[in-house]
Amino acid sequence: MEIVYVYTKKRSEFGRQCNFSDRPAELHVDILPDISLAANFIVRDPCNVTVQCAEEMSEHEVNTERFESESRGINHVEGGWPKDLNPEDMEATIRYRKKVEKDEHYQNTIMQIAGLMEHCCKQNNATDIYQEFFEDEDEEVVEESEEQPSAKTINVFRDPNEVKRTATSLSWHPDGNHKLAVSYSSLEFQRAPNDMSFDSYIWDIENPNKPEMTLKPVSPLVCLEYNPKDSHILAGGSYNGQIAYWDTRKGSQPAEMSTIEHSHRDPVYKVIWLQSKTGTDIFSASTDGQVLWWDIRKMSEPTERLVLDPSKKGNLDNALGAVSLEFETTMPTKFMVGTEQGLVVSCNRKAKTPAEKIVCTYSGHHGPIYALQRNPFFPKNFLTVADWTARIWSEDIKESSIMWTKYHMAHLLDGCWSPVRPSVFFTVKMDGTLDVWDILFKQNDPTLSLKVCDEALSSVRVQDNGRFLGCGSQLGTTTLLEISAGLCTLQKNEKAMVSEMFERETKREKILEARHREMRLKERSRSEQSREDEGKEADGEESAEELVARAEREFFEIMEAEKKKEWNEERQREKEKGVCEEKDFQEEHETNGVSSFKRSEISL
Amino acid sequence: MEEYHSGDEVSFSPDDASNVVKECIEGIVGGVDYSQNKVNQWTASIVEHTLTQLVKQGKPFKYIVNCAVMQKSGAGLHTANSCYWDTTTDGSCTVRWENRTMYCVVSVFAVAIAL
Repeated sequence: MEIVYVYTKKRSEFGRQCNFSDRPAELHVDILPDISLAANFIVRDPCNVTVQCAEEMSEHEVNTERFESESRGINHVEGGWPKDLNPEDMEATIRYRKKVEKDEHYQNTIMQIAGLMEHCCKQNNATDIYQEFFEDEDEEVVEESEEQPSAKTINVFRDPNEVKRTATSLSWHPDGNHKLAVSYSSLEFQRAPNDMSFDSYIWDIENPNKPEMTLKPVSPLVCLEYNPKDSHILAGGSYNGQIAYWDTRKGSQPAEMSTIEHSHRDPVYKVIWLQSKTGTDIFSASTDGQVLWWDIRKMSEPTERLVLDPSKKGNLDNALGAVSLEFETTMPTKFMVGTEQGLVVSCNRKAKTPAEKIVCTYSGHHGPIYALQRNPFFPKNFLTVADWTARIWSEDIKESSIMWTKYHMAHLLDGCWSPVRPSVFFTVKMDGTLDVWDILFKQNDPTLSLKVCDEALSSVRVQDNGRFLGCGSQLGTTTLLEISAGLCTLQKNEKAMVSEMFERETKREKILEARHREMRLKERSRSEQSREDEGKEADGEESAEELVARAEREFFEIMEAEKKKEWNEERQREKEKGVCEEKDFQEEHETNGVSSFKRSEISL
Repeated sequence: MEEYHSGDEVSFSPDDASNVVKECIEGIVGGVDYSQNKVNQWTASIVEHTLTQLVKQGKPFKYIVNCAVMQKSGAGLHTANSCYWDTTTDGSCTVRWENRTMYCVVSVFAVAIAL
């Protein structure tokens, strides 16, 4: 701190004194009016003055909304009258017509034109090109079969920073769907460059040039979700394990952040808003093996904690790392967690002890489960996206999924159901393609496969109306696509057909599961009888190859036995009957052969 | 920094100043007619130029330069002023200039900086 002493002295107390004296008034300008000069001017009356009650701005940008234009033809009924002629004036038109008719070239031109006209008229009369052909049938059926499923890119939002980061998660604005919140971070372990920006953006879908709002967290956000009840609030999970929430009315800084001691120890991969009276509850999952519940009003510590330990002991070392979460508002007591190890863990929120919280697990994937979502129409069935496949599961069948896609060439990184059609879901792959699957139409291949960009696509989200979807890529480019009407309008009987399909597959799996259980019981009983460790292994193998070999052996044995029987029978018949009954023998032989064949099959 | 004479009794010379002013006016509105959209520019530049020229002389004065441009449309214009200062050291000068379409009146006041 500076210590300052100020010296003050009046100006009149030092220096040369000012000897004031009055100077009388001086006339500067004295121009007398001169009316003659006014003759050089004209009075301007009225004077137009524009006034606008708006701010004056030195720079302003306006973005017009995107609008769709179509090319259409116009049907001209009458026209071609000259400008000075009023077409409604009967006399004038008659006069004009007479004048034209008297023109020299009139006849020739008419003859030429008449030829063309005749041709067109004849064409028209031959077929009525505007006739409605399928009026009686349902129009929808015709439309849908004609239209090829397609998707069109509407806008591309690029990461404005120089150092590109992956667009790891997208969230649509809950009302109106005009905004898209995208979180950016680099998920490469310790490979994030030093000058990488931490910002995430909220884009207005009409303006791809500049994000509407920037969110500035302390650490890059891995996931971001809008609060479905209050569209101003967003919750985000960050790379360092903290949870933060933003209020868009308050600004770019997080309104509150969770304390580091009580947050996750690994990046938070998913944050979901819960149904509650206050609308302020969220829960988050991370690869450190914990699922934490928070109330955003008090972020200093989580309200509840669950450790994903499959042995149900709450041991953090055994815990499975969580990569995705699932919560359906219609089933508020249950939720599911997708783990890094490829297991889906189904949990019950209301369980009293942590051991009871984990209800069951579903296994079947080889890699981390990147996406987990229940079908919005059939909550008992859910979709998981992991490794190279996408699988559909039924809650009741825990051993395997009821339907699955083939193994693709590239990893699948994200997926989601369409909110309007129960049979449509979307997946994105590491080679930059977006696949649209319609399980009613085709189960083996995607209905539509679109190459969106050259780099890997890391996230996909469909808007609530099912029409638009956004997908984020590894270089931070978010593409907004519009899919064709066929893929987002509910078809007739679709719900019924999809539910039948799911039931059928569920039944099939149940039967297989029952069969597996039987076989396992048999194995166990056999191993108890033999009591040999090697024997156990042999039994295990028998279930595959040995069974087949045994089946073959049995089959041939039975065939041989049957053949011998037939020969014996023949010889007997030859002895007993005459030659002329040979034909009957053949028939009998054949029928006998066929029926015996069938019999042996059944016994196998 | 410009040098100035310290210690000498310097008083304001109105003739000097009026020459400077006349040159400035001629340079800016010399052969042009009155134009409403440009007149603001003119008044601003006249005042600025005069001031810079006067300051360049390096005399220990505070200057006030005033400029009025009026269109010759038949109206009359009258202004006057009065000052209370040290008449030995301070002074003022007024220059009236006109052409076919407008009048231009520039007045300069100089107040000595006493040390």
